[in-house]
Amino acid sequence: MAQGVIKKEDLYRLLSTAAGKKKVYAPIDGVGGIEFAEIHEQKEITLDYSNSKLSPKSIFFPQREVLCTFADDALEEVQTPKEALIVFGIRPCDALSLTYLDKVFSDSAGRFKDPYYLKRRENAVIISLACKEPRATCFCTSVGGSPSGKEGADILVYELADKLLFESCSDRGQDFMKTASVLFKQAEEDHKTAAKEQAEKAKDGMPVLNLNGLKERVDKVFEDPLWDEITRNCLGCGACTYLCPTCHCFDITDEENRKGEGYRIRTWDSCQYPLFTLHASGHNPRVNKKQRMRQRIMHKYSYTVDNYGDIFCVGCGRCILYCPVNLDIRDMLNTLNKL
Amino acid sequence: MESMEKKIREIAREIFINQKIDFFLGYEEGSVPLKSRPFFIQAKEKTPDGLINRLVWNSFCSNNLAVFLPKFFEHDPRKKPPRIGISVKGCDLRSIVALIKEKQVPRENIVLIGVPCLGMIDKTKVEANFQGLEIIGSEETPEGVLNITTKDGKKHHLKREEFLQEACIECRFPMTEGTDYLIEGKARDPGDGGYARIKAFEDKPPEERWEYFKREISKCIRCNACRQACPTCWCKECFAEQTDLRWIGASIDLSDTMIFHLIRIFHQAGRCVECDACYRACPMGVDLRMFTKKIVQDVDELFSYVPGFSTEDTPPMSTFREEDSDNFISEP
Amino acid sequence: METSNWEPKIVAFLCNWCSYAGADLAGVSRLQYGPNVRIIRVPCSGRINPLYIVRALQNGIDGVLVSGCHPGDCHYISGNLVARRKFALMKRLLTYIGIEPERVQFSWVSASEGNRFAALMNKVIDDIKKIGPAKKLVKSVA
Repeated sequence: MAQGVIKKEDLYRLLSTAAGKKKVYAPIDGVGGIEFAEIHEQKEITLDYSNSKLSPKSIFFPQREVLCTFADDALEEVQTPKEALIVFGIRPCDALSLTYLDKVFSDSAGRFKDPYYLKRRENAVIISLACKEPRATCFCTSVGGSPSGKEGADILVYELADKLLFESCSDRGQDFMKTASVLFKQAEEDHKTAAKEQAEKAKDGMPVLNLNGLKERVDKVFEDPLWDEITRNCLGCGACTYLCPTCHCFDITDEENRKGEGYRIRTWDSCQYPLFTLHASGHNPRVNKKQRMRQRIMHKYSYTVDNYGDIFCVGCGRCILYCPVNLDIRDMLNTLNKL
Repeated sequence: MESMEKKIREIAREIFINQKIDFFLGYEEGSVPLKSRPFFIQAKEKTPDGLINRLVWNSFCSNNLAVFLPKFFEHDPRKKPPRIGISVKGCDLRSIVALIKEKQVPRENIVLIGVPCLGMIDKTKVEANFQGLEIIGSEETPEGVLNITTKDGKKHHLKREEFLQEACIECRFPMTEGTDYLIEGKARDPGDGGYARIKAFEDKPPEERWEYFKREISKCIRCNACRQACPTCWCKECFAEQTDLRWIGASIDLSDTMIFHLIRIFHQAGRCVECDACYRACPMGVDLRMFTKKIVQDVDELFSYVPGFSTEDTPPMSTFREEDSDNFISEP
Repeated sequence: METSNWEPKIVAFLCNWCSYAGADLAGVSRLQYGPNVRIIRVPCSGRINPLYIVRALQNGIDGVLVSGCHPGDCHYISGNLVARRKFALMKRLLTYIGIEPERVQFSWVSASEGNRFAALMNKVIDDIKKIGPAKKLVKSVA
């Protein structure tokens, strides 16, 4: 494990030096709030944020991606992205979510590999930023994460007053730190202590959600009328799924003009939408919000446990914070677990 | 407001006891600061007191509850349509009236409890005041002071009146009319509708207007929260989801997104009550209020129609007058 | 595309009973008007869905004309009168967001007005030529 300290104002210098030809992504204060975007200078970066509004999944799995173009009978495949990325500042929960998405986009048997996602992931260095002060809606520790979790990250950074403490947690992270070693100062003992204390404090302040036995519970109560009650407020929009760092459903459609030229695109899709399950016959097996919200919860807390061995929720709290009717997933889980 | 809250609970209890309703729809305390959330009470017992005592009325009851109603009255021969009691502000009620006129909600199945509205707090305005510092607690006093606790443990006292939603400040109908019950109290003074802003926007050069429209639309992620939160967006199948003839693409292509919003706003002609539910629901902060307001103003100006409290008049887009203006017609 | 030899593409939605017959009369009477127009016949101007108009613009059409029977003459008594409300609002909303007012036009042409139709088409073509190709709302694949 390599460690090193830099001053905050040297962050961009470090990232760009180590980057070489890589693109640098970092949190910026954009038109719609905090977002991850390609940056070109230090002053674009903001460190004053709890988390981004949209999860960083869109860096690897964009909302709209052209897969191939066509004109008449000629079909041209779009080359898989080659660009290499450095992503700075994603929170440990979102870093963890990337390991889940990895499982979806490259299944362990190796049968289905998603070249678009994987190419971007392969060439990326993830530098995550430990949370100093988790939000009141955060619950990562209840779903296997931590405000200073290392999973999914190549380097974990602690924010200490005017300095940043870098700590590599993968070979790729170590290589990154080696290439820029001249810029790092030796991490001193009090830096390490401060980081440790900060991590402990953040963790201790987190609310605890008891999800023990939740999977077994929800598997048994699929038909329970309680689902009607807990989903009554749901409006049926897709805000929770689009902001969620682990939601990964997509749709593939063709768009063309009158001349027969066009493209095939992959776009995000949401289990909350009527079109998601509409059959060609006109039959729709999930017609109401109860069924759709149940699917969302079952998928995250049961089906993915069967398929990948993990709960696909990292406790980032975005769905709680941005739900137009404050339909709180913590409440729903608590209610279900008490059944 | 505390006395209003008490009164709402009393009435809810009364209509449950008299078996006038199967459901009650109000607000309860939310799980995040500055938010109350919709709350359904279903009568399993005769007086569900425990649930009724969770009903609240405060400055965070922004959600337009009318949005939940049409689903209950979709035609289903196997089910008897429920009777629903609902506490309403001026905007909620005008949305319900629009739904009644369009036969989406039967008036006889609804028990309306009108609440004089003092305006609701704009969460984003309060948050902006603390520049990213997390708010962990909020409460209000009867004197109109908002007590906010921030993450750093500090307490702040804000004047309620300075953090109201634009829609509430400009609201022309803060007092309900024609409800079955009316909670005693004074509503805020009616606003002027804020149409001066439309005039000012119109006076800008077209390119500037277009840039504004484009900028707002570019934030959109097509999550449909605006449409789903809108009480008068009641179509069972939205044009954006018709597949037999696909009107617009599914992606965030700017042109598709623009057409989605443009047509959605256009479809609200004669229905929109400017409750701003679409704006509040948007997770990305897309602000198209300048355009919803425009359509309301045009409907008023061209057809002398304002979506109000009367269920008698015909919605403007399903009727006409012979003397309607022809002044937009091109002559050779 | 060079503006000098650029010719606008225009779509005209014409009602079956008056305006389409008016266009027919213009043809039979051998009246001259620009060849830029593609006519789409609809049963009544009341059949026009605003989506037809914006879809045309999205697909790269430079100008749209919608025409029906004069008020009072509708084959279906009041189709054009209900449509008139839609059109008035649509025109205002499009202009408001920054689309050129000339881009989308509405008119009334009766079955006996071949002259009016030809003159109207020439006017629309001139208007569109003045403001140039449509760029707003156009989808890139178009």
